[in-house]
Amino acid sequence: MKTMKPLLRTLFIPTMLFLGACACCEETVVAPPPPPPPAIVLPGLGDVFYDFDRSELRADAVEQLKTNANWIQANTTHNVIIEGHCDERGTSEYNLALGERRANSAKDYIVNLGVAPTRLKTVSFGEEKPFADGHNEEAWAQNRRAHFVAE
Amino acid sequence: MVQLFKRVVPGIIVLLFCLVVFPLTLSAAEAGEYIAIRKEGSGNIALVLDKLDANGKKESRFAQSLDTIMHDGLDFTKIFSLISPPLNVKDFSDKKNPVINFGALTSVGAEVYAGGSLTRKSGMINLDMKVYDASGSKLLLSKTYTGREEGLRSIGHAFCADLVELLTGKKSVFGSKIVFISNRTGFKEIYECDFDGFGVEPLTNLKSISMNPALSPDGKHLAFISFAPGRPTLCIKNLADGKIASVSKSGVSIDPGWRSNSEVAATLSLEGNQEIYLVNTDGSLSKRVTNNKSIDISPTFSPDGTKMAFVSSRNGLPQIFIQDIQSGLVKRLTFSGRYNTQPSWSPLGDKIAYTTWEKNGEINIFVINADGSGLMQLTQKSRENKSPSFSPDGEMIVYTSNRQGKEKVYVMSSKGGNERLLLQGDDVQTQPSWSLFR
Repeated sequence: MKTMKPLLRTLFIPTMLFLGACACCEETVVAPPPPPPPAIVLPGLGDVFYDFDRSELRADAVEQLKTNANWIQANTTHNVIIEGHCDERGTSEYNLALGERRANSAKDYIVNLGVAPTRLKTVSFGEEKPFADGHNEEAWAQNRRAHFVAE
Repeated sequence: MVQLFKRVVPGIIVLLFCLVVFPLTLSAAEAGEYIAIRKEGSGNIALVLDKLDANGKKESRFAQSLDTIMHDGLDFTKIFSLISPPLNVKDFSDKKNPVINFGALTSVGAEVYAGGSLTRKSGMINLDMKVYDASGSKLLLSKTYTGREEGLRSIGHAFCADLVELLTGKKSVFGSKIVFISNRTGFKEIYECDFDGFGVEPLTNLKSISMNPALSPDGKHLAFISFAPGRPTLCIKNLADGKIASVSKSGVSIDPGWRSNSEVAATLSLEGNQEIYLVNTDGSLSKRVTNNKSIDISPTFSPDGTKMAFVSSRNGLPQIFIQDIQSGLVKRLTFSGRYNTQPSWSPLGDKIAYTTWEKNGEINIFVINADGSGLMQLTQKSRENKSPSFSPDGEMIVYTSNRQGKEKVYVMSSKGGNERLLLQGDDVQTQPSWSLFR
């Protein structure tokens, strides 16, 4: 064990230097990391996503909304806020309106599944709080969403 | 009352001093005649703005500052071609009464000559200005402007305002304000600056997201959207006492636009659907204006308040519509472009500016006559240009552009051209709105 220590040390120092150098290089080239994800991700409350300039529910949103409705009905101590979000394109006033319609379409579906409307609040953030930072369709698709937050 | 004015128009006190002036020597007939001649030929007015005469060290320093203030102010309007005064513009053989050499002025192509002198008495500045028609050597204006030493900008701009009004027959932008959003503190707060970007001051400190500031026509109230209550809420701030009234009912509020000093319109989703309502300055509801299942946002009114242009998605993608407030009759205004938003009605009443999000990804500013004719594109090949708002004289448009990276406040002529950055800085600036007062 004693003979291993100097060996480890000799390996450790260059390794750290190498890693440090890499980190430096990365910082100069790559854009700053995206903001940390929301602190608590509740397993039963997932986001649903929307097509460009649309507030109608997509087919793939339905399963997630059923899951969300089940979670809300099982967790009666929590009320839920549904946030409508948009991608950065277009103009901010229109996106604020579109975001509200996205939140409302998700709310309406969940209410139809039997959740009391008094337990649901909607809000729009328009394009003000994007989840993904990029300026491409991959990021935009993630940002066109209804986000569920338990109170 | 004084406190109110201090908040609404910093420097108005100085302006009040400036109002203690000698009457114009110009007769209305002469001014009318001059404006009539100007209208014949288009283009800028060739102006020689002479250096101010001043005796004494301090006086000379103030005179130099005023020279720059007046030069920059007149240059900002883009109404003038400013010609450097020829060396022999004044004959000083009689030191007390220098004579203007009109021959020298016409030889450099000047149409108008403006010059004067500065004197100082117990901390007050007196600016004596004279304006001549260079070709006819006729005196067009003779006026004394008085103000405090700290208020040189107000003194100089009071003359600039008179000169523009004298030569164009229209009120100028001098004295007007621009409100806008900046993220310089890390939050989106509202700021105010002079028409030329000078003297940026914060108007909110809500440490949240603020959007779409708009000053009432008299400048007494500021309407805006704030996320501070947890959802976008219409706020109306009384600038005299700083109190904020908000529409505290449920739902989301979007993009206010003033109809008069007492009524502001905004989109509210009170009854589940987004509709435009008229709201009183105390936050109480006055009237519902739209009734349609689609998105209805961004009201902007004709100067007489009888008609409202707004954005609606009632035909699918967003377009600009005009609604008659009395009859409720709605007419579609824009047919070109698939995504038209952000209308702004000119204070002159004839034109509406708006933005089109184009297929190539650019957002560009257009103007169209209120009757749907005369569509004109003002910006192009400069990425995203947003949030147009007319100056009170209708001659300029303030807007934002990200042509150089971050979104910044710009101004241009309302006929297009003379596009320039208004505000320096490292911040992101959005949603500028020009005051109607000046």
